[in-house]
Amino acid sequence: MSRRTAQLLESALLVVVALFILFPIVWMVLTAFKPQQLIYHINLIFTPTLDNFREVFSPRWQVGAKVLNSTIIAVSTVVVTIPLAVAAAYAFSRRHFPFKRAMFQWILLTQFIPGVAIILPFYLMFRSLGLLDTYAALVIVDMAVVLPYAVWTIKGFIDAIPEETEEAALIDGASLPGLLRYVIVPMARPGIITAAVFCFILTWNEFLFALILTRNQVVPLSVGIMSFRLERGDLWELIAATGILIAIPMFFLAMVIQRHFTKGMNVGAIR
Amino acid sequence: MGRKGGTFLLLAPAVFAIGATTLYPLVFSFWTSFHDWRLMKGLRPGAFVGLENYITAFTDDPEFWTVMGVTVRFVVLDVALTILAALGLAVLLVRRGFARSLLRTLLILPFAVSPALIGISWRFMFNPEYGAFNRGIGAVLPFMDKMDWFASTGLATFALISADLWHWSPYFAFMLMGGLAAVPPETQEAARIDGASNWGVFRHVTLPQIAPVLLVAVILKTVFALKVFDIIVTMTGGGPGMQTTTLAYFAYNIGFRDYDMGYAAAVSYVLTAILFALSFVYVRHIMPVRR
Repeated sequence: MSRRTAQLLESALLVVVALFILFPIVWMVLTAFKPQQLIYHINLIFTPTLDNFREVFSPRWQVGAKVLNSTIIAVSTVVVTIPLAVAAAYAFSRRHFPFKRAMFQWILLTQFIPGVAIILPFYLMFRSLGLLDTYAALVIVDMAVVLPYAVWTIKGFIDAIPEETEEAALIDGASLPGLLRYVIVPMARPGIITAAVFCFILTWNEFLFALILTRNQVVPLSVGIMSFRLERGDLWELIAATGILIAIPMFFLAMVIQRHFTKGMNVGAIR
Repeated sequence: MGRKGGTFLLLAPAVFAIGATTLYPLVFSFWTSFHDWRLMKGLRPGAFVGLENYITAFTDDPEFWTVMGVTVRFVVLDVALTILAALGLAVLLVRRGFARSLLRTLLILPFAVSPALIGISWRFMFNPEYGAFNRGIGAVLPFMDKMDWFASTGLATFALISADLWHWSPYFAFMLMGGLAAVPPETQEAARIDGASNWGVFRHVTLPQIAPVLLVAVILKTVFALKVFDIIVTMTGGGPGMQTTTLAYFAYNIGFRDYDMGYAAAVSYVLTAILFALSFVYVRHIMPVRR
């Protein structure tokens, strides 16, 4: 194979990869902006319309309330998770204490627990406490997934901070809260942001827990999109419009942490 | 508080929260799996039944073995295809260059899309009447035109795997790119000078050096494949019949469709046991590599 053919072949492969990644996204975007009568046609050229978005926000579907629910759940989960994670990550990174190794292994092990084994007891508990269909229930259960992940991601970044910086602050008489606030948090900021963004995306996209714990008050978008699947068929144009609302904000967030990905991921960094 | 004080205060909130949200439900599920607890009969847990729920699963419930078969088929194919795709992407995109760096950026997108949404979009695109994938495939392979993908075991499995592959292969591609970037170029140069072909260099020099990372990827992808749930609910609903009902979805159905908590807990514990067995392999082989 000559050099030229090899280069052509490579370029062709790159195009195929781009199509592979983009096609499903582009198709969803096209469908969301299509006039309703064209949904079932493969047209690429049409006059885009916002009708589908208007429809999903109408009182009949109330997607606006679901956007709000998803936002409240994800923001609350991140706001509760990150401070707890920073404190624990610092302890795991710098302190010695009994059962440290066992505790840290458990943190890794939590990522192997199937969601269905966790949700069953929580469903029974929240039902008897009358907490089904509340934000609190979802935030608590979502922490099972994101808190261990955040502890362990942030620990990696704190490990990389030289201990001398801390010594200097301590000599200057910094207290533990002061040390965390003015030394550790600023220096581990990239790690904290990465963990926070990941936690936000995972919570926003979470489906199993929300499917079981919500009824109508706090249904997030990820579950709410199922309401467009009716007995008489699926309302694809509305599904696509809601899909845009689910996916596009996460694309922007993912871009924030893209360096974390492209630098070559931590071996073993699991969700 | 000096440099030693406050450890308990630092740790307690997170450790308590992690314990309450992971350890407690696992213990409670374990306890439930030894009881007869059908919500249709009463809200309180019923009698202690020993191993009965587990015995029912392994000896008395033909669906359980169907589901085990489905799970093995899905996991093996899904892991193999996703990791192969990830390796291909990693090899193609690891080098520098404008087009490649643009593609690496695009590669982040599928990972950010909710699996539930991916499932529902795939269902649309594979629709026999007007699905975009279906039209495209029908145009190239006329005998596939108007094929109902979700009525066939093989095609429904393939549709599910293609969705899961789209979501996960970028993530693992990044992981493998990290592995590839760590391979010293001299080793590849040396083999090339000795007259090895591109494939020879990859097969005998590069691949052995990224084997540890590849192993991590395979184990993790197996874990994620066993936990797949969202795309099954939104794309196939476990069908045709039970042919795409994996263990996780089966446990969900027993618990939240049939409301048999005892049996659901037992089935979810079978899944938990498989995952914990994998975690031992993971910790054994991987932990020393990590810091």
